[in-house]
Amino acid sequence: MLANATAATIKGIEGFAVSVEVDIAPGLPNFAVVGLPDAEVKESKERVTAAIRNSGFDFPLKRITVNLGPAELRKSGTQFDLPIALGILAASEQLSAPAREKIKDFLVLGELALDGSLRPCAGVLPMLISCKTLGKMAIIPPANALEGQISSAPFITPHTLRELADYLEEKIPLETVQLAYVPTEEITPQTTLDFNEVKGQALAKRALEIAAAGGHNVLMIGLPGTGKSMLAKRFPGILPPLTQDEALEITKIYSICNLLGKSRLLTNRPFRDPHHTISDVALIGGGSTPKPGEVSLAHNGVLFLDEFAEFSRSALEVLREPLENGHVTISRAKETVSYPARFTLVAAMNPCPCGNLGNPLKPCTCSPTQVTRYKNRISGPLLDRIDLTVNLNPVKFTDWKQGTEGETSAQIRARVLAAREIQKKRFAGTSTTANAFMTSAQLKEFCKLPSGADTILESAMRKFGLSARSLDKILKTARTIADLEGKADIETKHLIEVMQYRPLDRKGVADL
Amino acid sequence: MNSTVSSEERLARIRLNAFLYFRADWLARLLEIFGSAQEILKQDAQTLAREANLNPSTAANLLKEAFSINPQEEWDKTEKLGGHIYLPEDEEYPQSLRNCKEAPVAIYVLGKLPADQQACVGMVGTRKITPYGRRVATKLAEGLAQCGVVIVSGLARGIDSESHAACVRAKRPTVGVIGTGIGRCYPPENRALEKAILEYGGAIVSELPFNRPPNAFHFPRRNRIIAALSQPVVVIEGEVKSGALITAKLALEQGKDVLAVPGPIDSPQSGGPNSLLAQGAGVVSNVADILEYIPQAQRFGLDMRFFEHNVQTPQKPEETLSEREAQVMHTIADGQLSLDQVALAIEADVPEAAELLFNLEVKGFLACENGLYSKNKF
Repeated sequence: MLANATAATIKGIEGFAVSVEVDIAPGLPNFAVVGLPDAEVKESKERVTAAIRNSGFDFPLKRITVNLGPAELRKSGTQFDLPIALGILAASEQLSAPAREKIKDFLVLGELALDGSLRPCAGVLPMLISCKTLGKMAIIPPANALEGQISSAPFITPHTLRELADYLEEKIPLETVQLAYVPTEEITPQTTLDFNEVKGQALAKRALEIAAAGGHNVLMIGLPGTGKSMLAKRFPGILPPLTQDEALEITKIYSICNLLGKSRLLTNRPFRDPHHTISDVALIGGGSTPKPGEVSLAHNGVLFLDEFAEFSRSALEVLREPLENGHVTISRAKETVSYPARFTLVAAMNPCPCGNLGNPLKPCTCSPTQVTRYKNRISGPLLDRIDLTVNLNPVKFTDWKQGTEGETSAQIRARVLAAREIQKKRFAGTSTTANAFMTSAQLKEFCKLPSGADTILESAMRKFGLSARSLDKILKTARTIADLEGKADIETKHLIEVMQYRPLDRKGVADL
Repeated sequence: MNSTVSSEERLARIRLNAFLYFRADWLARLLEIFGSAQEILKQDAQTLAREANLNPSTAANLLKEAFSINPQEEWDKTEKLGGHIYLPEDEEYPQSLRNCKEAPVAIYVLGKLPADQQACVGMVGTRKITPYGRRVATKLAEGLAQCGVVIVSGLARGIDSESHAACVRAKRPTVGVIGTGIGRCYPPENRALEKAILEYGGAIVSELPFNRPPNAFHFPRRNRIIAALSQPVVVIEGEVKSGALITAKLALEQGKDVLAVPGPIDSPQSGGPNSLLAQGAGVVSNVADILEYIPQAQRFGLDMRFFEHNVQTPQKPEETLSEREAQVMHTIADGQLSLDQVALAIEADVPEAAELLFNLEVKGFLACENGLYSKNKF
């Protein structure tokens, strides 16, 4: 006999409905799953067999064929256990006719343990959101209930296969949950880290403020212990709060990676700080069944790369695409998927391999060649995507002691928000979200050079060896500084301030 | 080139010159024994070793190295770059180099070498330059160049580059003796500087085969050429064990005067010059101190004003500083300060401090390295 259930799978960060067809025919006992299943889907056979037996049902010793359609879509994930088990129970007529009829009204997702209980599975949120249009009630594992609530789709959460069967037979009731999840309260980030805990480093703080206001990437160069990591960790606290859509987007990504844990909707901007031994696939995403990488986990948030020059060259080079486009496209022989990855890069590195170059107290033991080689590990094209570079120098004890209490994160954030508001108005109706992502047409329109700035720019270009290409970066950053001051036009002093954040001097060449 | 050397002999000498593991005066001795380079290259290793009393393996190496290069190709490539290969017999070969005990068998030259009567001062120093070294090198090289002296240095990073660059900025000739073949540029960032040196009538000199890559032992070896071409030699900065001190030692062996710029006693980079001063080297505190050591025969044509101690190098019209800018300069004084420190001291916010520092840097009063500002002018 034939039975049908509806499940879903993930491709990229979207869910797709999958129809699970189970046919039981007379013949030698056999259990086959067809329709492009991945390894974990094929393994579900063993779990389903045991779960059915241990739930007090009979596992039919017949020829069982499970087809997952549409056949050209790859099916991955463990959420197929429950629909397959349900299909087998229906096809072997262990469920009554009315119960069999009811299965069609559900979207069934869940991994089975051998005892028949439901385990959480990855990607429930995007699957529920995408399948809302089907108008079906969802069956999801209890552990996924929190993310189910965000989707605003109706669902039930049976604990075991037996419980679900009883519910379908109308022996027991199950509570239907449906939340129209529209949080009325503002999504406010909760962080205990505050900028006023960092003494000194006014320039670096200023650079981070500009970065937060305009979505620019930052590179901090400084001696060990000058507060690079400390500053970076406090950076998310001055970013504007997540919008509904942004929060949902990152929650979907975390759902796919099974990283949601106990949280419902992510309300903090993500802060990812992978170790420098990370492989390029882990950073960018991929694998034979593609999974989002660190850049996507940092979507709408901060990717902090400490010891920037110690990352492998190939890992750094793969950053170029997401930094440019805001997403990554991963192509494998089997499929091509795209993940969002619009993050702010905050990188930190030492000035030289020994870490003491420019330290007034300790001499640097590196040769000039070593220093050049170290700096050259960061390729030009990558540096071109970093708008702000800032040097951090040690804070003297006296400065540290008498250093005034700096501004709090809240104060800085207020200015950032105001600047973002200006940008929102400026880019209304376009896909640009911040100054850093301006197209060249927008650059022309919004970043006019102030009169008399030509000579300054020219002398700066000559003096600092700036390329014409870096002019765009300078203009974008100057635009953000002007926005922070609430000025309609870029002024000369804004351009001059940007010069403080010029890229690392990689040559040490004498001026000609 | 109207010398007596036949073109075959010329090519043979270029071959011989490729053997670098040998002091040049030994090669000269071989030439004396056999009469010509062609004759040397005709010998087999055993004969060479026997006749010249050499170690057989050295003799074998010499022949191997000599035949590893194609002298005609060396010649053609050099000419294609607009350069020349000179032998001591050629009149273009500098007399001062010919007088040197270890005169190179052949030199590759791009550009124009200074005439024998031209005053040449060697300026050597560390690659790990400090702001102090940069100020001094720039100031001295600039003054000497304006006075009409040709600066000879090694085109390495640090003091060398700064000295050459100061000459180039003054649009005066300077000579760079490099530790690679002239077909290469090392360090690579000095390509523009090399080009500028040639543009302003200077020269690039090397005794190494055209395409020879940099190698640690090339550099002490080329230092003797710097010493030979100059009188006096000025050591600006350098650690106690450094290439700069090797040059000083070689210069003393060649009977040249060695001068040193005193520096702070807590700076490792000044350890070299300070120890030279302790041993009796001349003290340099301005351009006139150096000019005193230029031989009488070479003083013709120099701007005599500089010889008087009380006359400083002609100042460019002094750019006036605003009150705030003067405050910044006063704060920085002789130290290296970050923007944060400056801002704290003069009670400015980041944008204002940034603007002040930018203007001072563009005007040339300050230099910035790794985020630290220091004085760039005396």
